[in-house]
Amino acid sequence: MSKSEKKKKNDVIIVGTGISGSMVAKLLTDHVYEKNENRIIHRREVGSKSNIREISILMLEAGLKAGLELENTDALNTYSDYIKTYYESVAKVPNSPYPNLKQAPSPDVIHIRKITPPFPDKTGYLVQFGPMPFASDSIRIGGGTTLHWLGTTPRMLPNDFKLKNKYNRAVDWPIDYDELKPYYEMAEFEIGVSGNVHVQQYPEITDMDEYYGKDYVFPMKEIPQSYMDKKIMEKLSGENVKMGSENYPLIFVPSPQARNSTPNPKFKNTKLIKAQKTKKLPNYRLVLDEDKEKYAAIGATWNPYLGERCEGNASCVPICPVQAKYNALKTLKKALYKRNDNDSLTRIDNIEVQAQSVVYKLEVDTSDNERITKLYLRKYFSEDKSDFVEEVIDTSESIVVLAANAFENPKILLNSKYLKIENNKTVERTVANRSDQVGRNLMDHMVLLTWGLFPEPVYPFRGPGSTTNISTFRDGDFRGDYAPWISPLDNWGWGWPAFSPGTDIQEFIRNGQFGTELKESLKHRLTRQFLIHFEIEQLPHPENRVTISEEYLDVMGIPRPIVHFQLTDYEKKGMEQAKLVSDQMMKQMGAKDYTDYREGDNNTFVYNNVRYSYNGAGHVVGTHRMGDDPNKSVTNNYCKAWDHPNLYIVGAGNMPTLGTSNPTLTLTALAIRSVESILSDIEQNIKYNK
Amino acid sequence: MRINEIININDFYYEVFMSISKALTGFSIEELQSTGLSIEYYNYILNSMESGTFVEFLSVSKSILETSSNEDELKKNITDSLVTAKDMKVITSKIINVWYLGSWNGTYITQLSYTEGLIWKLMESHPPGAKQPGFKSWSVKPFNS
Repeated sequence: MSKSEKKKKNDVIIVGTGISGSMVAKLLTDHVYEKNENRIIHRREVGSKSNIREISILMLEAGLKAGLELENTDALNTYSDYIKTYYESVAKVPNSPYPNLKQAPSPDVIHIRKITPPFPDKTGYLVQFGPMPFASDSIRIGGGTTLHWLGTTPRMLPNDFKLKNKYNRAVDWPIDYDELKPYYEMAEFEIGVSGNVHVQQYPEITDMDEYYGKDYVFPMKEIPQSYMDKKIMEKLSGENVKMGSENYPLIFVPSPQARNSTPNPKFKNTKLIKAQKTKKLPNYRLVLDEDKEKYAAIGATWNPYLGERCEGNASCVPICPVQAKYNALKTLKKALYKRNDNDSLTRIDNIEVQAQSVVYKLEVDTSDNERITKLYLRKYFSEDKSDFVEEVIDTSESIVVLAANAFENPKILLNSKYLKIENNKTVERTVANRSDQVGRNLMDHMVLLTWGLFPEPVYPFRGPGSTTNISTFRDGDFRGDYAPWISPLDNWGWGWPAFSPGTDIQEFIRNGQFGTELKESLKHRLTRQFLIHFEIEQLPHPENRVTISEEYLDVMGIPRPIVHFQLTDYEKKGMEQAKLVSDQMMKQMGAKDYTDYREGDNNTFVYNNVRYSYNGAGHVVGTHRMGDDPNKSVTNNYCKAWDHPNLYIVGAGNMPTLGTSNPTLTLTALAIRSVESILSDIEQNIKYNK
Repeated sequence: MRINEIININDFYYEVFMSISKALTGFSIEELQSTGLSIEYYNYILNSMESGTFVEFLSVSKSILETSSNEDELKKNITDSLVTAKDMKVITSKIINVWYLGSWNGTYITQLSYTEGLIWKLMESHPPGAKQPGFKSWSVKPFNS
């Protein structure tokens, strides 16, 4: 093991190239420092080039170098390898197309096992103490987990930000919906959301004009709802279901999605996200401004004319072959390439991305206001070999942005201890952890699945994973008592809960069927399968957490995340109610219910004498919550660590509660908003250090 | 029953393989051949099975095809001598499976066998991630239904 110390100073060091890291990098490189005016301005507003100083950025990615290729054949080769691996994998789980690296391992759903306390399950990357296994995965790769996300992008509801105030549950956020709204718009633009604002309908919101803004439109038109959605809606739209003593109308909403469709002419031009200097702290405000050209969908990284519109590959999870589904490599590319004077894209040289670099520790200077002064990483050379070099980066003049995901961010922080003298005593401290909240409040949606056969063929296994959701139970007074949920309709048959169509073939063969009879049975069943999700909100609990220990290390000697996780009656009762709603829907549709929860399932429990099983949603949230109080939260509402003047922690970990929305859009809005504060800090650093 | 003669292939047992596959899967010889993989499957099974098992399967199949004089007899003989026969039922189910899904003992036989599984067409769909039917196709009934 050799050591090297990097000399070059960067204004910003970003750990992770997923959506939050790439988004921060893209917005920062869109801006430059204007030396005459001593302020940061958007690239487009530059008058004389001699007066500007570029913002220098180093991005660090744990995944392979090949995963960061963003141009032509190199990008295509990497992506083609992913697709080939996907074709060849018999278990086509979310991580299946991507390399599972021993130097930067990822949690994988195929490694989830039942836990027998007090013994942890160590099958996969996570050391799972349970008692309930954490059921979701993520992937450490250029572009992060957006490579395999489904791409559903609902915003959170206003009440999701104030659970304590409204329902006396969990905590309120330090910001409300109205504060986050402009950043949602920026996120929807950058990600490229398709949908129809005017048909969105959510409970407890009477004025949808106010929720989205009267004239607001998504950049692209709605992704068509599936034939199956329409058949289900024919039976259920407007029908009531009973929950407790009340009747609730079933509201079916076409889901906003991060996949390309047809640009909406009403969205007009493409946009700029531009920083403006303000008097109000943090002294910069990002605004959406009109750009010169018409809005156009962004295609594949290797070919802009591929993937400009969804082609119906029906494999969004785990991989969109044409990149019509958004992934963060698109934003990373925008961070690295800018239009030059000739209006063509060129690679700028003030941002560097260093791959195969696993950050594992930060160091603090207690004599300098607790600045983060060093960052430690281990850089490996190839997928196959296990040798690596130790690298230490001087961050004393830099801003460090951890954007490594809700397992890796707390892992790095918890591994960063420092000594401090307090009241004449030397005490050990952990970076950013004055509140003792680092790693705590780990959350996911519990996905209760119910499945059945529709009375007529609905032709599933086609189109994007989900194009419609039932929004009825996303909010309501019952949240004081049990968990709310969103119900996406799933277009891919029983693939998820029952591994169709493979298991159907085996079942019929086992029953002695072959030839025409087998063929007819398969056709009958596979064209009628439908699946409904009930994505149950989990509340934050301090004991649901990520920790580390010297006892559990990966091959490079870096601690693996240790996970403690369980459900409370709040979630369990939510699932019970969701199942009762499902039972009524099945009846009203005239469907045959095939839902089957077994004792042998990995994530299963008995509540009120009834068994329920669930899956993870891939929504790894909550391990470095933001808040108003430095003693109760890890960051302020700009994702800046309370305890250090040059540390930001971005990603789904920031979210104090989960709501019923898929978290990516919200975490992106939060990451975009954090840039206002980062810009202000950059300005201060440049002034101070020049 | 007739053992279909396969053009350009000079292996009688390959013809037996295709004819019995037709009876087992319910797909026509042309549909089986449309996978473009029938020879690969035949050779793969021939080379990957313990010696004897596949040959035994083929000779049982040959005799079923030769002795069955109509569809009902064929069905009965397949049930008795292959589908429920102790030593034949495993390989029989694997052979059905390979045509439908392209996999053999948990792995795909060739790079194309996932996308050429016959199940996808049967269910009026396409293999996820390949042969994409185009924008909006999912919002209407499948074209051939």
